[in-house]
Amino acid sequence: MDIQGEEGDFKVKVVSHPRYIDMAKCIACGACAEKCPKKVPNEYNEKLDKRKAAYVQYAQAVPLKYAIDEPNCIYLQKGKCKACEKFCPTGAVDFEQKEVEREMQVGSVIVSAGFKAFDPTGYSAYEYARFPNVVTALEFERILAASGPWMGHLVRPGDEAAPKRIAFLQCVGSRDMNTCDHPYCSSVCCMYALKEATIAMEHAHGGLDVSIFFMDMRTTGKDFERYYEKAKKQGVEFIRSRVHTIAEKPDKGLRIEYATEKGEIKIDEYDMVVLSHGLEVAPETIELAKKLDIELTSSAFTASDSFSPVATSRPGIYVCGALNGPKDIPYSVMEASAAACAAAGKLSAARGSLVKHKEVPKALDVAGDTPRIGVFVCSCGINIAGVVDVEAVAEYARSLPYVSFVTNNLFTCSQDTQDKMAEVIKEQNLNRVVVAACTPRTHEPLFQETLQAAGLNKYLFDMANIRNQDSWVHAGEPEKATEKAKDLVRMAIAKAALLQPLQEVRLSVNPAALVIGGGIAGMNAALNLAQQGFETHLLERDTQLGGNARLIRSTAQGEDVASYLKDLTAKLEAQDGLQIHLGAAIKDVDGFVGNFKTTLAADGAEKTIEHGVTIIAIGASEYKPAEYAYGQHPKVMTHLEMDAAFMNGELDPARIKNAVFIQCVGSREPERPYCSKVCCTHSVESAIHIKDHNPDAQVVILYRDMRTFGERELLYKEARSKGVLFMRYDVENKPRVAAEGDKLIVTATDHVLGRDIVIEADVVGLASAIVSHRAEDLAQMFKVPLDEDGWFLEAHQKLRPVDFATDGVFMCGLAHYPKPIEEAVAQAQAAVSRAVTVLSRKEMYLSGTVAVIDQSKCVGCGVCWTVCPYQAISEDEKGLAVVNEALCKGCGTCVASCRSGAPNLKGFTTQDVMAQIEALL
Amino acid sequence: MSDTSNFQPRIAAFLCNWCSYGAADLAGVSRLQYPPLVQTIRIPCTGRMSPKFILQAFRKGVDGVWVSG
Amino acid sequence: MKNILEYVGIEPDRLHFSWISSAEAEKFQKTATQVCEAVRALGPAQHMIKDIRKVA
Repeated sequence: MDIQGEEGDFKVKVVSHPRYIDMAKCIACGACAEKCPKKVPNEYNEKLDKRKAAYVQYAQAVPLKYAIDEPNCIYLQKGKCKACEKFCPTGAVDFEQKEVEREMQVGSVIVSAGFKAFDPTGYSAYEYARFPNVVTALEFERILAASGPWMGHLVRPGDEAAPKRIAFLQCVGSRDMNTCDHPYCSSVCCMYALKEATIAMEHAHGGLDVSIFFMDMRTTGKDFERYYEKAKKQGVEFIRSRVHTIAEKPDKGLRIEYATEKGEIKIDEYDMVVLSHGLEVAPETIELAKKLDIELTSSAFTASDSFSPVATSRPGIYVCGALNGPKDIPYSVMEASAAACAAAGKLSAARGSLVKHKEVPKALDVAGDTPRIGVFVCSCGINIAGVVDVEAVAEYARSLPYVSFVTNNLFTCSQDTQDKMAEVIKEQNLNRVVVAACTPRTHEPLFQETLQAAGLNKYLFDMANIRNQDSWVHAGEPEKATEKAKDLVRMAIAKAALLQPLQEVRLSVNPAALVIGGGIAGMNAALNLAQQGFETHLLERDTQLGGNARLIRSTAQGEDVASYLKDLTAKLEAQDGLQIHLGAAIKDVDGFVGNFKTTLAADGAEKTIEHGVTIIAIGASEYKPAEYAYGQHPKVMTHLEMDAAFMNGELDPARIKNAVFIQCVGSREPERPYCSKVCCTHSVESAIHIKDHNPDAQVVILYRDMRTFGERELLYKEARSKGVLFMRYDVENKPRVAAEGDKLIVTATDHVLGRDIVIEADVVGLASAIVSHRAEDLAQMFKVPLDEDGWFLEAHQKLRPVDFATDGVFMCGLAHYPKPIEEAVAQAQAAVSRAVTVLSRKEMYLSGTVAVIDQSKCVGCGVCWTVCPYQAISEDEKGLAVVNEALCKGCGTCVASCRSGAPNLKGFTTQDVMAQIEALL
Repeated sequence: MSDTSNFQPRIAAFLCNWCSYGAADLAGVSRLQYPPLVQTIRIPCTGRMSPKFILQAFRKGVDGVWVSG
Repeated sequence: MKNILEYVGIEPDRLHFSWISSAEAEKFQKTATQVCEAVRALGPAQHMIKDIRKVA
């Protein structure tokens, strides 16, 4: 592989390795794997079990197509075998495939090469390689998985006995210079250890004790602290200690010797030890980075600055995921969208230039016609026909009412069968189609396309699942499986007879955006949108832009925030197509995705903005402490106050002799049970700032857990090497601050010595929490939810981290959860990326499967609009329910809730379901 | 009902398209075997599930109903 | 719901509810088997059905 050229015009050479299976022919029946004689350790299950040389990596692989593993294939290595070729029912095996070199011309490149889990084999003290019951966390993950080597039964690999006591050892291959040269924190291991520990306990139904040996518990993400508290309640034992050595007992159990915080030596015995191994960049990825000529940090992650977090050192090459610093799934998914935004930004002029449009014939009007149902029974090679008597099913289908055509196909989904199906529909004048084959979840869209090509509305279609839910799961009972197939076909036909053509609502999209909140996140979102050519409105309630960033001195990487903010503001002001509304408030919002109408009040006047999407970036604020003598002495300061004082010269770091920082002020408390994520790093930064100006200053940080996640750990290390003192306190025994005249007296209990230490301080920095605005009005206006702590709640924490369940509304920045600047900028880019998926369309079609209200039956009781999870139902001027089809997702909750039977769900009407029940027996 | 060993009950399963129906498909992919007594009716979401469907199924003579989200 | 069933003379154990995510194939298999066994143990449903069933 090779890359030439520059931003906007790269030539990339890639090599496709042969998979020796023709993807177009493979139907994923698994015959090749079944017949393949060669067993290979299965990487997917961390080599705890075996797969074949003809294999699919895992059951949910996309595309679900098999491959032949060249180095392990007997034929490819020794020239004999070809069992797979012989048994493949579709002739998909092709040993003639060769390596293909391809050249692509692209404008941008995104690198998402990911991480490799640290291999603890060389970590001699933990004896991973020698003791069978010392496993890595990834191995443990596979042991717990239903698709794992023991089908989810919790056993230890040494002897398959169920463990009664398990120990997790944290920071294996992380925060460690001695054994692996990884000074950074891997960010994700605390959470996955908690997850695995709680799941293991659930699997064991009470017969399992779990201990986690850790240094600092780093549960910084959204809802993570709650998860940690839950694990404690569930009985997971947390031991703050780094384990030195593990010894094996004669029964293959393990003995752990460790020192407690107070210095006592303890010995505990476990049946199994899980090593929470960290993340590292694979050597081949480092090679790739060299070829791409992009810079890496000292920890081998990609180097990027905080204000353009997904850009590499080479213009036009972007990065996302764990390669760009260790991170979890939500952050990786979010960064992926951000990289897409950054990569598309400069290419926006070319958007859509390579898209091909498909012509769809106008659908025939069949409403009111007598149903003429065509039934296509699929053999799926031998996948169905090997168990179910498909001829008998087809014969039976012929006898059913309204059925006017029945056929049996070897592979109904193949292209030639699809062409034939379209012909048959026209020839036989069919107006409903039933396919008895695999599952609608994968194949319904394909068949619906064929219906459309034949001039039928695509909703005049149903499937009977006689493979995944019949032949495959009742392989031992062919007769009963055939009977069940008949039943399923009968039910599908009964439903099909009632199906009506559905129209998909067409919505025009107004290609304009409203960004609410002019902090760093909102500013970046607005700038990116306008740069991509969309009319953008940026609304800020304050009289100037910048938000909290105006009070921040520096990023974790040491970049100056004030000068960045100045540049960014200038860029925004100069940007075409971007309107900034300062001192503005939202009065009213009307409409939905593609067509919002928002009324603003600014400068005493009201104006209405029409826009297709909304990005919520309203930020958050700093908690004003009620504790630690805050407000009683001018030198007890929050982080933002201290940064502001450093910047305006009120506080001279060179003249500070004694500084104390107190962590978790207002965070991780019962009323705010979350971690504010940025404060540990912020205190460390400020401590280093003081030490750099006055190396003799005494700086003490009082903390509960130091949460300098990722490469921030290097800052923590730097602070310690510069002489900053770190002292841990317990939440039950917090430090005390007293203002005595001019002086500040801080008293804290030392854990190691077990007694009080008194410090006289010139300045006390409080790492106070980040608090949400709990913007209930705004949430209600845009029909989006808030969580318990007042943060905006995303559609899915992992899969849709910047979307709302409500279409056309997105979020970024602190409004979502506390986060550092680089994450807020990435999130802003991600929100833009998601917003552009709507804005770049002139019009959008909504699913035809929506609810409809029969107003003659509606009494206006309001149950449906209360239960609707998408707030798609409202009260009209007559007091009756009416559905907004643009918001409806077709869940049918309204139908089930109504006592008078007024709502119905198109495509899944009460009559449809009743017909299926009727046909059941 | 003295002899239940040969009895083949009929069970109506109302499965949510996004959850249990997917699990049922995946059970197929993994070839996990279970008795062929369950007839599936796919519903878009368990929210669609109405008590009427359960009663109607029993009225039609099924021996059991399984609702899974 | 089970109360209604009991009221009309259907054993509550004929009705089962479960929550299975789309990745939990094994749980699906187990639950399907359990439901079948539970219903099988109850024998044919005797109520709310037409007489024809009893004859057959």
